[in-house]
Amino acid sequence: MSILMEVVAEQWEYRELLVRMTARDLLLRYKQTVMGFGWAIFMPLVNTAIFSVIFTRVAAIDVGTPYPVYAFCGLVAWNFFASSLRFSVTSLTSNPSLVTKVYFPREIFPFSAVLVSIVDFAVSALVLAALMLYYRIDVGWPLLMLPAVFLAIVVFTAATALVISMANLFYRDVKYLFEIVIAVWMFATSVVYPIGRVGGKLGAVLALNPMTHLIDAFRAVLLDQRMPGMAFGVTFAASIVLLAGAWVMFHQAEFDFAENL
Amino acid sequence: MSTVIFDGVSKKFRRGERHDSLRDLVPSLVRRAMRRTPDRTTLADQEFWAVRDMSFEVGPGEALGIIGPNGAGKSTTLKLLTKILRPTRGRIEINGRIGALIEVAAGFHPDLTGRENVYLQGAIMGMSRAEIARKFDAIVDFSGVQEFIDTPVKRYSSGMNARLGFAIAAHLDPDVLIIDEVLSVGDVGFQEKCVARMRELLARGIPLVFVSHNLGAVVQLCTRAILVDRGKVQFDGRPAETVAEFRKARRDSAAPAAAGDKPIAITDVQLLQPDGDPSPLHTTGRPMTIRVSYEAREPIRQPHVAIDIHSVDGVYCAGINTRMDDCTLGTLEGRGFVDLAIAKLALLPGCYSISAGILDPQGLRPLDLQERAFPFSVVSDRRDFGFVYLEHQWMQGHGTQIRPAARHEVRLVSPTARSLAAVALQEELE
Repeated sequence: MSILMEVVAEQWEYRELLVRMTARDLLLRYKQTVMGFGWAIFMPLVNTAIFSVIFTRVAAIDVGTPYPVYAFCGLVAWNFFASSLRFSVTSLTSNPSLVTKVYFPREIFPFSAVLVSIVDFAVSALVLAALMLYYRIDVGWPLLMLPAVFLAIVVFTAATALVISMANLFYRDVKYLFEIVIAVWMFATSVVYPIGRVGGKLGAVLALNPMTHLIDAFRAVLLDQRMPGMAFGVTFAASIVLLAGAWVMFHQAEFDFAENL
Repeated sequence: MSTVIFDGVSKKFRRGERHDSLRDLVPSLVRRAMRRTPDRTTLADQEFWAVRDMSFEVGPGEALGIIGPNGAGKSTTLKLLTKILRPTRGRIEINGRIGALIEVAAGFHPDLTGRENVYLQGAIMGMSRAEIARKFDAIVDFSGVQEFIDTPVKRYSSGMNARLGFAIAAHLDPDVLIIDEVLSVGDVGFQEKCVARMRELLARGIPLVFVSHNLGAVVQLCTRAILVDRGKVQFDGRPAETVAEFRKARRDSAAPAAAGDKPIAITDVQLLQPDGDPSPLHTTGRPMTIRVSYEAREPIRQPHVAIDIHSVDGVYCAGINTRMDDCTLGTLEGRGFVDLAIAKLALLPGCYSISAGILDPQGLRPLDLQERAFPFSVVSDRRDFGFVYLEHQWMQGHGTQIRPAARHEVRLVSPTARSLAAVALQEELE
């Protein structure tokens, strides 16, 4: 526990660097691109169009809300998770000169990858709001829970980001494995269809996926005017424990980074 | 007041590749599970002590020099001091902000401008945004890259890069200062500024650790010095004593190697100024003579002599040899020297090193090779970029010559910097 307090305090001390590194990554990510932040919107929009064709024309499913807004809502949350991890996985290995030559808390690399994705998320959230207006989706009191739901997603993402960035530093296989895992994981999550309808043993296994509960809660407060359920509460609590554990583990391994890069 | 304490510090490394693919994960995990506590005192296969049971203390206002041969553990000590590595055993205590004049441009991103990089690198070194904003003008002024501050640093020369990095580090106001070879960067004028800044911090009572090959600089700057070899402190004393000890040790160990079974050995390489005096400082556009002295144990018929020049960051600037020039030397016997006379030195200001070799008559097999063993600096008032000065003239249309508006005044090299560099070179050549 004392280690945890220590690492959090140290990260707080270096908060300006975290902001700087995030600004750097944002600047570099969209420098020399014509669309700039447009890319943050483009991908979920294209996916929404594709899945709308599949799930309204080919194999129509009823999701209770207009399908495009259902899919876009899921994709925005999922894209935040997936792109945070995609940038985290190589965040340590792509900065060898900083990792081997200068000391500062290494969490900054995966954390800034998550922060950059939060900015992208904010941009695409504007499009989501526009879609909700267009489809005349009412919002109610449960919307007040949105910050808590988003925080839970961020906590879970940050924990995963710490683990995979560290894992990739020690074993470069991780970045290849990651691409496969993230693709499978998306279809095992209720991103573009309600996975909760899968029953039996498979359904029981799929119910263990924390991202399903997080995305379901995200949609519940935004589209369904429902408060998030028990499953969300459990996932949130578990994510906090996971983040604490991952952070301590990361800190313990941090001093071996320079030797392994 | 802060102090630096190194108490019985050891650091173990593993030779060769570590497991870095999943295939090796399982065996390594099994091995780790088998022994319950990590072994901190003995060496496993392929392991070695980079630093072994090292203790020293640096008090307020004290400047400790760390010298020693290559591979002695100096860099590891430095990385332990800057918290990049964690000791296998022992305790390191440093309170306060560590200012490290090491890898001062490590955080620079080539696509960002000088200005953006100042903020980024400053934050990496632990400065707040407000602090950097307050010191920004002073930093840019110190670095001397004002005109290019809004240019991406990928267009900077390596010297400009280093100068900007140093300028940021120099404005850190640290509680402890750690320096690695500060004097090898930038031109002499810039080096002077760095030395002045170090003295200023020292006068404020900040402990300073200086790791260097430049023995002259250690003697001039430090109040104490330790000699490190094979990961241990071999000698601790006043800088002059430690330097003497180091030279003695080096002579003792170097003697048998030089007298080995080489038929011919390069005993010295000197750089001569136009007046024939050896000097580590040369000027762009002026003559320079490279004198390679040798000692032949047996007469060597028609050998070839090769000279390479590298910049301090390893760029291969020039390679000259008698074979490519179709020059044939006679027979080399006993002691003597071969001179390479350069009429106009085309190198731009910076630090360079010379490699010299004597090769067999076919010009293939080296009989003796001294790689990057002889450093020197070039100074001048030229402000061109790159490594070479191309003698040139601007014309407009046909033959209308454009003359420069005013000649720059030749910057005088100040005596301190000059003597520092000279002492350093003497040490190296000894």
